[in-house]
Amino acid sequence: MIRNKSMKRATLASAIVATSAMVLSIVPAHANSTGVTATTIKLGVSTPLTGSAGLVYGKVPGAMRAYFDYINANGGVNGRKISLVIRDDKYLPTLAATQTTNLILKDKVFALVGALGTATHSKAYTAAALAKNNVPDLFINTGFSGFTNKAKYPTTFMVLPTYNMEAKVMAKVIKDNFPGQATFLIAQDDEFGADGVAGFTTAGHKFTASPTLYPQGTMTAARAEGALATLGAIPGKPVLVLFGTTDVTATILKAAEKLELTKKFTFLAGSVGADANTLLALGVKSTTVDGIVSASFMPDAKDLTDPYVKQFVDINTKYNKGITFDNYVLAGMNSAMLTVQALRAAGKNLTRAGLMSAIEAKGSTFASAGLVPLGYSATSRVGYNGYWVSQLNAKGEGKPYGGKLVIYTTDSGAGAVEVSNFVRPTMPKNGIPTNS
Amino acid sequence: MKNLKLTKGLVALSSAALIAAFTVAVPTVARAADDCQETTILSGIKVVDIEKCTGTDGNKSKYEIIMPAKFNGTLMVYSHGIRYNVNLPAIPVVSPKGSLVNYAAEVAPSEEVAAALLAQGFALAGAGVQTQGWNLEEGVESALQVLTIARDKYSKINKVVTWGNSLGGLTSQALAEQYSGAVDAALPMCIADSAQAEITMAGDFLWGMKTLFNPAIKGTNYSAGQAGYVEMLTDLGTVLTTLQTLQANIAANPTAPAWPSTTTAPAALQALPVRSVVLLLGLMAGIPTQSNTYDASSGPAGASETTFGLVLSPALAVLENGAEAAILAVIANYDMEVRYGGVVFDNSTTNYAARVAEELDQFAAPLTGRSNATAVLGYLSLMPRVKANAAAVAKMNSVYQLQGKIEVPTIVLSATADNITPAGAAQYLKNQYEASVANGASKSGKLLTIWNKPNDSYTTFSAAGAPIAPTVKTNGTGHCNYTTSQILAVAKLVASAAKTGKIPTTTAVKAAIKNEPNLFVDPNFAPPLLKFRQ
Repeated sequence: MIRNKSMKRATLASAIVATSAMVLSIVPAHANSTGVTATTIKLGVSTPLTGSAGLVYGKVPGAMRAYFDYINANGGVNGRKISLVIRDDKYLPTLAATQTTNLILKDKVFALVGALGTATHSKAYTAAALAKNNVPDLFINTGFSGFTNKAKYPTTFMVLPTYNMEAKVMAKVIKDNFPGQATFLIAQDDEFGADGVAGFTTAGHKFTASPTLYPQGTMTAARAEGALATLGAIPGKPVLVLFGTTDVTATILKAAEKLELTKKFTFLAGSVGADANTLLALGVKSTTVDGIVSASFMPDAKDLTDPYVKQFVDINTKYNKGITFDNYVLAGMNSAMLTVQALRAAGKNLTRAGLMSAIEAKGSTFASAGLVPLGYSATSRVGYNGYWVSQLNAKGEGKPYGGKLVIYTTDSGAGAVEVSNFVRPTMPKNGIPTNS
Repeated sequence: MKNLKLTKGLVALSSAALIAAFTVAVPTVARAADDCQETTILSGIKVVDIEKCTGTDGNKSKYEIIMPAKFNGTLMVYSHGIRYNVNLPAIPVVSPKGSLVNYAAEVAPSEEVAAALLAQGFALAGAGVQTQGWNLEEGVESALQVLTIARDKYSKINKVVTWGNSLGGLTSQALAEQYSGAVDAALPMCIADSAQAEITMAGDFLWGMKTLFNPAIKGTNYSAGQAGYVEMLTDLGTVLTTLQTLQANIAANPTAPAWPSTTTAPAALQALPVRSVVLLLGLMAGIPTQSNTYDASSGPAGASETTFGLVLSPALAVLENGAEAAILAVIANYDMEVRYGGVVFDNSTTNYAARVAEELDQFAAPLTGRSNATAVLGYLSLMPRVKANAAAVAKMNSVYQLQGKIEVPTIVLSATADNITPAGAAQYLKNQYEASVANGASKSGKLLTIWNKPNDSYTTFSAAGAPIAPTVKTNGTGHCNYTTSQILAVAKLVASAAKTGKIPTTTAVKAAIKNEPNLFVDPNFAPPLLKFRQ
């Protein structure tokens, strides 16, 4: 699941499944340069393209491809052009497993990049034998802390911070800014919510009542209104943490509007469920959006003063025609830029093992749009390892909470949440990495 | 040893131990004389001249040997899958017209396959084992006997392939491991895991149905004699009725289907959609989440498309698959209890929550949330379990257990969504073989596994949005559901292996299956083992 983006739900519609012929190929057991020729590098991604999930997340692979096209037009990586095979999994675990298997066995990609979703990708990882095939699994779009387990996912590199880390940062935000207020948590009843609950627990935060957990796809308006009506009777200005997807955040905020409780609470929305564009598109009033506190690790896609955003907007205009630049496009291009740096760092003699070693050795220094540091090392497959806290305004822009950008870093364990003086690497000239 | 000559393949037995084992295994009762007739069969439009010999072996198993006039030198000895070991009255679904125990000899998975192989010049042989049910030992013996009879009769047999379906797949592999000198290659198809592993899968699902949906299901510990037989038949009816109720309730209200009225589960659990609980039972038992009708992905066009694929389809697949597993569990449990002298299913120490820990994340949505699934698991952890009879289990496990000690080229064919013998059984053999190679007991390069997978998506829907059960079973799902062309493609490979003593090259395998889009080979593909093995 992508941060600052919406929807992880059962009800997301979909469309077409490519009923292609089944896998026929035989992969050599130790072919570690599969998908690489003297002039090309073939990458792949299984992700939702159709249905409501596709409407939200569907821009990500296109943005990656646009950035790769831009790089290809500027000489490629060590003389090789990058191609990206995109397969639609409709955000369904079984189909994700099938499509990922197709990418490995049929399309014979060198590496995966940007796979999206916890349930989908955890099932796909096993089904497609990514570990045994030693397929690099780059910059996955999920914050499930389980993917940090290198023993279980030896080829996976996360890009998002974990949900657990996010909850720990949120707990600090509450402690520092809302002392004495009652606090409540509404979270999705799966690994996403469980990760969050665990993070709050680790941070020592105790909610005023037990968390309200709802199965994915079951947060109806009536249920949201019922929950808010009860909480509305709490004295003061309670902090209501929403640890779910953007559609659920919208349902809850609209319930608050209906009950005239929007000013009753401080809404602290998780990064997954706080995409302002989506909230507004789903009918949440701008006055309700105004003031929502959230956590993020990327700059706001609307902030054209940010050099990364500006460069990606330019690339998007030329190589992703007709697509409005937003947080999803920003995320896709950012992952693509990380991928290019990883490929460069792996050298001309490109192998799967070499690519993964390069990220472990140099990934933490890669240039990226993220405002928090990357955590790659020989022992860590975590991407961004922190957050900054933002507050949405009525235009849906995310501004530093309290007027000053503060970067927090932490881990998915018992480590403390600390303020970081991280300085983001400069955007490579023209957005073209030159690292080695 | 009586009535058995050491044929060419058997002479190849080099160790005294193997010869001793072989000697022990061969029965000493004289067999009846062959009855051979020259006749013809049709393979497509091709007329094939054959000699067909029938008889009974030393154990009174019926056998059949078919020798084509244009023989290519290779005999394929087939072991059939499990058959009911009891007569069944007319029971809907299970035996609509009633059935008697079938002892007929079987030489191939289908007449069409047999005809095609005969047309290609292969000789075929097989037995109808004198004891039905879980008859691994008897199956090995009968296969060995018909093999020997055939070689006695036809000195022109140069190569022998042992092959079989399901329990017959296990039989053929057991034969190849124990008597590698008797055969030149093996082709276990939809291979079964051990009796204990298989009965655990089916038994877990049945126990879950009993515990959550209908305590009237007995499931295990059937009485001796006629009373036990009646209990088993009663159970079949109860299980079918319960399955039909589940199906009807889900069809009536897919979003929030009711539980069967026979349930004694707490009201709090019954607030959950029963489809989610059916799915959970399937995950606990290791039942595939893709079935003949349901691909766990597709949905009817429109607003509920993804919802159906994500939330409903896996549960409906488990129900469709689990129905067969539950029925088999009743009949197999009864058979094994009679055979081994007591209860063989045991879940007294099974930690179902641990078993499904990963699946809870992958299926959180169709399970209606992790917490709800955890609540059901918590309830199940408190419910009475089944404790097996240790002596019966010991007896069950005293029969040959696969070692993975593969000495002749062996090609395994297994479907990723087989609901009775899941792909994990083939993976288990592969794991054993790799271990055997690692410890020096086997040479590498003797095993090739070919996987059979369903299409990426295949569920179809009516204009009204109702799923349509396919008229032709979906390839890659169901039990031993291979097409004739798939079987022939793989049979050709194994015949080649028998001749060369080697697994065909990658190029040859690619060529052989190039027209079979649902077959694939990936040395690293590793489906989950049966739950008993995890």
